[in-house]
Amino acid sequence: MAFLQLKQIFKSFGEGDSQFQVLKGIDLEVEKGEFCVLLGPSGSGKSTLLNIIGGIDKADSGDIIVNGHSMESMNEKALTQYRREHLGYIFQMYNLIPNLTVRENIEVGAYLSKHPLNVDDLIDVLGLTDHKDKLPNQLSGGQQQRTAIGRAVVKNPDILLCDEPTGALDYSTSKEILKLIETVNNKYGSSIVMVTHNDAIKDMADKVVKLRDGQIRDAAINKNKLTASQLEW
Amino acid sequence: MRNPLNRRFIREVLGDLGKYLTIFIMMFLIVSECSGYLVANDSMIAAYNASFEKYNIENGYFSTEKKLNKAQKKNIESLGVKIYDDFYKDVEFNHGAIIRFYKLRNDVNLVCLMSGRLPEKKGEIAIDRMHCQNAGLNIGDRVSSNGIEYELVGTVALSDYSALFQDNGDSMFDSIKFAVSIVTDSDFEERDETLIYKYSWKYNTEPKDEIMEKEMGEDLMDGLIEQARLTSFVPRYQNQSINFAGEDLGADRNAMYILLYITVTIIAFVFAITISNTVSKEANVIGTLRASGYTINELIIHYMTLPLVVTLLAAILGNTFGYTYMKDVNAALYYGSYSLTTYETLFNLEALQKTTLIPIALMLIINFSILRRKLVYPPIKFLRRDIENKKQRKAFKLNYKIPFFNRFGLRVIWQNLSNYMMLMVGIVFANVLLMFGLMMPSTLEYYSANLANNLFAEKQYILQAPLSLQSSSGLESLMELMMFEKAVQTDNPDAEKFSAYYLKTNEDFAKEEEILFYGISKNSRYVNTSFKNDDVFVSSSFADKYDLKVGQTITLKENYGKKRYDFTITGIYPYDGNLSVFMDQKTMNQTFDLGDDFFAGYFSNSEINDIDEKYISTVMDLDSLNKISRQMDVSFGGFMGAVRVVSVAIFAVLIYILSKMVIEKNAQSISMAKILGYKNGEINRLYINPTSIVVLLSTILSLPLCYELIKVLWMKMMISRMSGWISYNWDVKTVCIKIVLYGLLGYALVALLEMYKISKIPKDEALKNVE
Repeated sequence: MAFLQLKQIFKSFGEGDSQFQVLKGIDLEVEKGEFCVLLGPSGSGKSTLLNIIGGIDKADSGDIIVNGHSMESMNEKALTQYRREHLGYIFQMYNLIPNLTVRENIEVGAYLSKHPLNVDDLIDVLGLTDHKDKLPNQLSGGQQQRTAIGRAVVKNPDILLCDEPTGALDYSTSKEILKLIETVNNKYGSSIVMVTHNDAIKDMADKVVKLRDGQIRDAAINKNKLTASQLEW
Repeated sequence: MRNPLNRRFIREVLGDLGKYLTIFIMMFLIVSECSGYLVANDSMIAAYNASFEKYNIENGYFSTEKKLNKAQKKNIESLGVKIYDDFYKDVEFNHGAIIRFYKLRNDVNLVCLMSGRLPEKKGEIAIDRMHCQNAGLNIGDRVSSNGIEYELVGTVALSDYSALFQDNGDSMFDSIKFAVSIVTDSDFEERDETLIYKYSWKYNTEPKDEIMEKEMGEDLMDGLIEQARLTSFVPRYQNQSINFAGEDLGADRNAMYILLYITVTIIAFVFAITISNTVSKEANVIGTLRASGYTINELIIHYMTLPLVVTLLAAILGNTFGYTYMKDVNAALYYGSYSLTTYETLFNLEALQKTTLIPIALMLIINFSILRRKLVYPPIKFLRRDIENKKQRKAFKLNYKIPFFNRFGLRVIWQNLSNYMMLMVGIVFANVLLMFGLMMPSTLEYYSANLANNLFAEKQYILQAPLSLQSSSGLESLMELMMFEKAVQTDNPDAEKFSAYYLKTNEDFAKEEEILFYGISKNSRYVNTSFKNDDVFVSSSFADKYDLKVGQTITLKENYGKKRYDFTITGIYPYDGNLSVFMDQKTMNQTFDLGDDFFAGYFSNSEINDIDEKYISTVMDLDSLNKISRQMDVSFGGFMGAVRVVSVAIFAVLIYILSKMVIEKNAQSISMAKILGYKNGEINRLYINPTSIVVLLSTILSLPLCYELIKVLWMKMMISRMSGWISYNWDVKTVCIKIVLYGLLGYALVALLEMYKISKIPKDEALKNVE
């Protein structure tokens, strides 16, 4: 049984005539430690799907099963607990706490876990040792995103959800971030679900899911997986 | 692991020190004032209550026309009391005050030495502390009367004169022109002023309650009348000199609590709005935290911690300051009005609880309920910054004919409606205080001026009619009346006889107080209304105080008896000197069974010199009638100054905090406006003018509300706590102009700070991402 299973996920926004069906019966499975990329044009429903997996948005129908536990019956409290124990989140905009340092922002994630990773080791892995006492506004975009990754990863989540993590970054910084996510995937064994516009990123994924108009057009296992360093776009 | 979010607190405070410091100071000051007031007040109340036993305060006193002989004393004491001589003489001193001489008391109404020592030899005097303070007298000073000098060797508080009422019927005590003192026996005997045979009594068995005390008092009076000709009879429960201060102590307690809780509530809402703005500003961070697994409660606790810590800190430090310093400041306010005996500071658990727990509870409830509503949205809404009320997001239509800057201003007001609503509430609160601080002197001024205008004679002489004249009957009464009438004739052509009689308000009225009945002769030169036989006019002061209307029937009762009288009001006479009733002299004499030719005083525009002073009980002139306003000025003058300062401070602090929020909320837009080429002056117009308009409009619109609120407070205070009446009339126009000017002055300072803040917003603010 897959670690993460999505069954017939439907989601719409708006009401009446202005109702818009965003997801139209999505079925998807992600194995433990698998790197899954969701590709698709704007409005295809990929971010919505990610938010539903993350339990921060609710599907109109369908079910999500994580490690054998169905999310359908979970109330708000249980969903919070689920996110606390199993998920890490990375956003396009880094959403760091402005008056906490790099290290403290990472500790914000560590606080949520019973068995967090060692913060200083992680900072080292993230390449932020020289910046750990700086505030977010003293950092470049890439450094801020690395801090956000640290915050998500430090609690050693089962699933790391990444919503356009390189969307606001330049080419070389984007590659650095992708390398880091790859390291996290390899080193800590987290399953990764990443939403991206960037078609090149699919080459580093284990599974590539293409969405269009709220439906999966293609879901394939990537047999010729590249490393992040090998990616070009 | 400690919550890493906690590390934000110190940085948050340091990053917004101005806001936290002003809120802390405001809360600290109100808590310390409230705590100091309650500690001082309750300690003084405890000392006051204990003083009855400690100083063996009388159960009452009476005075007689002649000294009681042994047989009379024995007969009186057989009524269940022990009586003590407490004779006095009123001596006029060169510094313009009447000082009542008493010999040193050893049995009842003992003396509390406040400083120096008691007189030991001839020529020494110890005067009431309060009067010394008001008259600027110090130990070692020499005071003189009619060529006799006394050295002031001590200041005292006489336990039966905690408020310096010269006469129990006076509407207000007067610690400026009247005082009590202790002199040696020889100095007492030396004076040739009228000796008043005053006797204090103590019941052999103390009454158990107030009802029993009243019954015992009435029984005693009935017995006393049989034994002697009384000139006064004042049981303790009617003695203003003893009770007035006791009633006043603690009377402001509820007002103090209301002041504290309103201030804390306003501060709590200010905090709540600040937090609400922070939540909006940090929506994406909150969304991320919630998406990462932080619970709503963890975030509520996080955002509520600082307001609660500030409140707790202000409460602890405020209470410490209240106990150590403000207690003395508050005690000094009472000691500045009353001749209280010494007190010891008592630990006050209730004050501690009410100035700590309730503010914290208020802060907690208000902030929790607002945060709970604000944070209830799911994480996705925070990430999308979709946490405002949908209705608020809709732009309201504005006519394009309205100039751009004005439209912009209206949108700023709309965008910050909650801030501005809070600002309006704060302005109303501050203006109530400010108006109260300004209207009091104006009211007293108006009262004095009005009194001078409607004083129908420059002097009113009330003759000393023996009390027994009213109670005895038949031949004896007639004889007494004839003797009295002969002695009180005058040749002064200005003099006009009138009848006077005192009744008391009954249970229908909020307060028991004396009503002076004037019987006015036909064709009076002084009272310019011709009273028909059945006319009963009440003075405007009486009508105002108890909301009396023409056609209404009032019931009044005898001062020294149980008889009650009903009167139907037929008119209102414009007179504020005292609470009085005007009738035709003949009708009044008949009503009270005084005899057709009875009179009790003279109106005169010149001094009457040919009546023996002993037959004159009171001379009412502008000066004596003004004592209520004079004393209120002394008692509240300084306090009102402090109220004015505090209210302007509250006004400025609230505007500062709330307008700062408006600027901070719009920092990116302001920065963008700068990039677009707007000058600072233009940006000020866009973002400061809306606040200016709200401040000005709120100030002006709050004035009628403040006027009505204070009217209610004033009426309540005057009716329940004061004998007599000062009408709610003051120079509204001047006071309102002053309020607007004070407000604008306070706001101008804040606006300058805000302009500086706007000028310091960098252009790259708009280019920054949300971090």
